[in-house]
Amino acid sequence: MRLTDRRFALVLIAPAALFLAAFVAWPLLRFVSNAFYEISPIAGGPRRFVGFENFATAFAAPAFQGAALRTIVYTVIVVALEFTFGLAVALVFAALGSRSAVFRTVFMYPLMVAPVVAGLLWRFLLIDNFGILNELLRRAGLLHSTDQIAWLSNPKIALFSVALPDIWLTTSFITLVLFAGLQNVPGDVIEAARIDGVRFPTLLFRIILPLLRPVIAVALIVRGIDAARAFDIILIQTSGGPQDSTTTLSLLIYRTMTRNGDPGLASAMGTVYLIGMLVVAAVAIFAIWRPGGDQA
Amino acid sequence: MNGLETRRRPARVILWGALAAVLVLYGFPFVYLLLTSFKTPLDAIAVPPQVLPSQWTLDNYVAALSKEGVVPALINSVATAVLSTAFSLALGVPAAYAITRYRTPSGRIFVIAALVTRMVPTIAVGAPLVETMRRLGISDTTIGLAIAHTTISLPLSIWLMSSFFEAVPVELEEAAKVDGSDRLQAFRHVVLPVVSGGLAVTAIFAFLASWNEFLFALLLTSVRAQTTPIVIANFQTQFGLDWGGMTALSAVYSVPVILLTLALQRHIVAGLTLGAVKG
Repeated sequence: MRLTDRRFALVLIAPAALFLAAFVAWPLLRFVSNAFYEISPIAGGPRRFVGFENFATAFAAPAFQGAALRTIVYTVIVVALEFTFGLAVALVFAALGSRSAVFRTVFMYPLMVAPVVAGLLWRFLLIDNFGILNELLRRAGLLHSTDQIAWLSNPKIALFSVALPDIWLTTSFITLVLFAGLQNVPGDVIEAARIDGVRFPTLLFRIILPLLRPVIAVALIVRGIDAARAFDIILIQTSGGPQDSTTTLSLLIYRTMTRNGDPGLASAMGTVYLIGMLVVAAVAIFAIWRPGGDQA
Repeated sequence: MNGLETRRRPARVILWGALAAVLVLYGFPFVYLLLTSFKTPLDAIAVPPQVLPSQWTLDNYVAALSKEGVVPALINSVATAVLSTAFSLALGVPAAYAITRYRTPSGRIFVIAALVTRMVPTIAVGAPLVETMRRLGISDTTIGLAIAHTTISLPLSIWLMSSFFEAVPVELEEAAKVDGSDRLQAFRHVVLPVVSGGLAVTAIFAFLASWNEFLFALLLTSVRAQTTPIVIANFQTQFGLDWGGMTALSAVYSVPVILLTLALQRHIVAGLTLGAVKG
C-alpha cells in the first residue's frame, strides 16, 4: 500500500502531535477545568463545582491584582532595558565589523548559565552587608557607605533588582538577533544616507530601526513571554519578598497551589494569566510583526 | 561588509573602549563566582568583600561534591537532558520535515499549536503533570522529568528544524526518488545528512533547555530524580546560604556548558538567530 503525500505527512507529524496533546494540551485542559472547582489540597481529596467563584475570589484579591501589576512592570523593565542595552551593543559590534567576532562569543556566555545560578549569583553580588556591588560603588566614590542601597531588601526597588540577573542573562539574545538583522540591512542604503549628510540618530530611528522591525518584533515577543513567565530567577533571590514586592503571578500561583493549598483558586489565577499572555502575544504578533506583511 | 562599519580612527578607538567596558561589566559576575568558589568559607562572606581570595583553596569543591545527593543529582541532570534531547529529536525532526516539505493544513495548525505552547506559563502544565506522572507510575523518575522537559524543547526543535529543512532544495530529493529511493529512504539518506549541522544545533538547544530547567524539576521530583538546579537552590538553609559550596557547585554545573558553547559558537549563533532573522 502506498500512502499519499498528505497521509505520509500526517504519519510523520502524529507522534509529536500526540505527545503535545498528552503532555501539554490535556494537562492544560485539566488545569483550566480545575479553576471551576473547590479542591482539597490532599491528593484524591473531594472536589466541588463552584462555577466562577474562584475567578471572583481571584479578581477581588489585592494579592492577585498586585501580582498582575508586578508581572507587567517586571516584564516592561526587563524588555525595555534589554532592548536598549542589546541594541547599543549590537550597533557597537556592527560598527567594529568582523574583528569583533571573538567578543561577540564572549558576550554570549550568560545565555548558557542556569537561571537558578544567575539568580543566586546576583543575590550574592547585591546582598546587603557583603555584596561586592555596593563595595565597588563605594570604592568608586559613588556611595559613602555600603548599606546605602538595600537592593533586595528595600521593597521600593526590589522588583527592579530582581530583574537585573534576568537582564544580564538574556541581553545577549537580543544583541545576537539584532546584530544578525543588521547584517541584512543593505549597505548602499546607509551609504547613501551618509553621503546625504544624515546624522546618526536620524539614520537609526528613520532607517535602521524601521528596516529591523520584523527582527525586533520577534526578539521582543520571545523575551516578553519569557520575562512574564520568570519564576526561578525571582524565587531564588527573594522568594517574592520583601513584603511581597517581588511576588509576580508565577510566584503567587505556585504559592497558592502548594503552600496555601488552594489548587482551585491557583488554577483560576493561572487561567487568567494564561489568557492574558495569549491575548498580549497575539496582539503583539499581529500588530508589530505582521508575519507575511512587510518582509525584511 | 556592511555599511554600518566605521573606518574613522577616533570613532573606532571610542567603540573599542565601550566594548571593553561592556565586556568587563558582563564578564565580572561570573568571574567573581569563580573567584569566590576558591575562597575559604570566611573569605566568602568577609566584610568588606574582597575580589581576590586571600588564600586559594579547593575546599568548597571537595565539600560540595561530597555533600549527600550532589553527585547523584549531577548524574540525574545528564541523564534527564540526554533523554529529553533524544525524545525531542525523535519526535520533532520528522514533524518538522513533514511540515516544511508537504505544507498540509494539519501541519499549519500544528505549527500554530506548537507556537502557543511557548506562551503557556510553566506552572499551568507542571501542576497537572504531577498527577499525570503519578498515574503513569513515573513520578520522581528521570524519564518522567525528561518527558516534562520535552514539552519545552519539542516546540523549539520543530521551529529550528523547520528552518533548516526549508534550506534543503526539493530537487535533491527528487533526484533521489528518480534513482529509485522511496520517500523514507530519500529522507534518511539524502535529506538528513544535509541538515546534520542543524540537528547538532537543535540537540544543543534541547539539551540546554533541560539542563537549566527548574520549575518542572521542583514540582516533579523529590529525592530519586532530583536534578542539580534544585540541589543548588537547596544550599539555602535556615542558617543562611553556604556561598562557598553554592558557587563551587554552580561552577561545576556551568563551566562545561559554557566551554561547550564557546567551542560550538558558530552553530549556536546560527540557531539563536535563525527563526528571527528570516522574519
